[in-house]
Amino acid sequence: MEDIITTMAAQLGQVLVVLGAGLAVGIAGSGSACGIGIANETAAGILTEDPKKFVYALILLALPGTQGIYGFLIALLAINKIGLLSTAVPITIWQGLGIFGACVPIAIVGFYSAIWQGKSSAASILLISKRPDQMGKAVILPAMCETYAVLGLLMSIFLLNGIKVG
Amino acid sequence: MSRREYYRYAVARIRAMEHLLLDAGVIQRLLDASDLAEALKVLGETCYARSLAENVVHERYDAALEAELLSSIMELRAFVPDKELVDLFRIQYDFHNVKVILKSSFLAKRGGKKRWELMTSLGTIPTDSLIVSVESEDYSLLPYGLPSLIPAALSIWEQTGDIVEVEKLLDAGLFAAMLKVAEGFDEPGVLKWVKARIDSENFRNLLRLKRFGMSAQKAAAFLHSGGTVSVDTLVQLFSEPFESWGRALFHFEVGGAVSKALDERGFDRQIAALEKALDDYCRDAVSLARYSQDALENVLAYLWGKEMEVKNIRIALVSKGASTGRDETRRMLRNGY
Repeated sequence: MEDIITTMAAQLGQVLVVLGAGLAVGIAGSGSACGIGIANETAAGILTEDPKKFVYALILLALPGTQGIYGFLIALLAINKIGLLSTAVPITIWQGLGIFGACVPIAIVGFYSAIWQGKSSAASILLISKRPDQMGKAVILPAMCETYAVLGLLMSIFLLNGIKVG
Repeated sequence: MSRREYYRYAVARIRAMEHLLLDAGVIQRLLDASDLAEALKVLGETCYARSLAENVVHERYDAALEAELLSSIMELRAFVPDKELVDLFRIQYDFHNVKVILKSSFLAKRGGKKRWELMTSLGTIPTDSLIVSVESEDYSLLPYGLPSLIPAALSIWEQTGDIVEVEKLLDAGLFAAMLKVAEGFDEPGVLKWVKARIDSENFRNLLRLKRFGMSAQKAAAFLHSGGTVSVDTLVQLFSEPFESWGRALFHFEVGGAVSKALDERGFDRQIAALEKALDDYCRDAVSLARYSQDALENVLAYLWGKEMEVKNIRIALVSKGASTGRDETRRMLRNGY
């Protein structure tokens, strides 16, 4: 029994890192899928009547996809930090908890910002359906939501860099 | 998922369909046309081309305009998640058809002709089915309270022979049915539009009845409850001179439309201005929804816009046929979508 507890305690740090990486990819990715889905519904409506707007719509509906990429990037950095992609580095529970915490900003901010960016992109798709000449402004408006996803990404990177392992 | 989330595709498609609505330039060209044939030629260059080609015979364009409106309604009905929302717009045509059938049967009893040609295909109930139901007195499958309204209307006619009483009953039934359907959506915007329609009808009736010198008590029977302005307020207003209506309605949204119309001189101009202002009032009731990507009211706003477009074309074409002055015609035109 004691052996089991000792083994668990030794591996709990790594488990926390894997959990954090999973959440970063899973939650931020879900937000992106949701956001793209919202924009997609609007794009499909416009394209039914005016298929020539496909390129404009594609650019706008791709915007909420970045949060999923950010989540994936943080997950890679997290598991790479403990050597899961090469040689595993032993870490303490506290180090594992720290890396888990570093994954949280991009998971949460990525999820919500992607959904709202999707709604914003949908509104911009409606904008370009009437005024295709306003494409620049139509991209800038949903890009404002991106700011907070980038802040979440940066904070996750800074926190990951701040945790010393090995 | 909320009801609104299902409307993103529909609203986006409606936005794209808005491009096909006629702009002010086309209406201006219709007004500038030298005669009806030239006006129809102008219309033939727009999205009405197909309806005109299939329906216009000897410059009779009504069927073409109806076919175009019906095609827009059916197109919307194909992709809007709640078919009842499109049908809410069509209930008025069902009641119009019922009135035509009943009046025709009253006429026939007095040796007159049945006027089926006045029926419209825009209603939710196919005209043939409606005629068969009414003539065979089998109302059980009819919607919108018609199974009880039609026998009541027939009974009123048999007892009083007064067609106005029959109209009053059916109008009350129409607005009660519209309110019931709108309440089923649990969307304030949809209900607001129906209330605006009731307000419009009430103020049209009020202005006409006042000019006829009818008493407030009698006029109350022509007013419908369920609007933003209560029947009691309208009856009180009825005894007041026109000049004070604007002040009395200051707190109501419809007040602006009524005040604007009553500023005109002469009854004919006031009535024409009121008709236009009340149509604008109904449009404004759902106009804010155009900033939303998932509001149900967008469906009503588009259908209302299409109906106003058809109304404008009809006004322009009739004025060409009747050689009405351009300025006079322009004054009658409704504001666009």
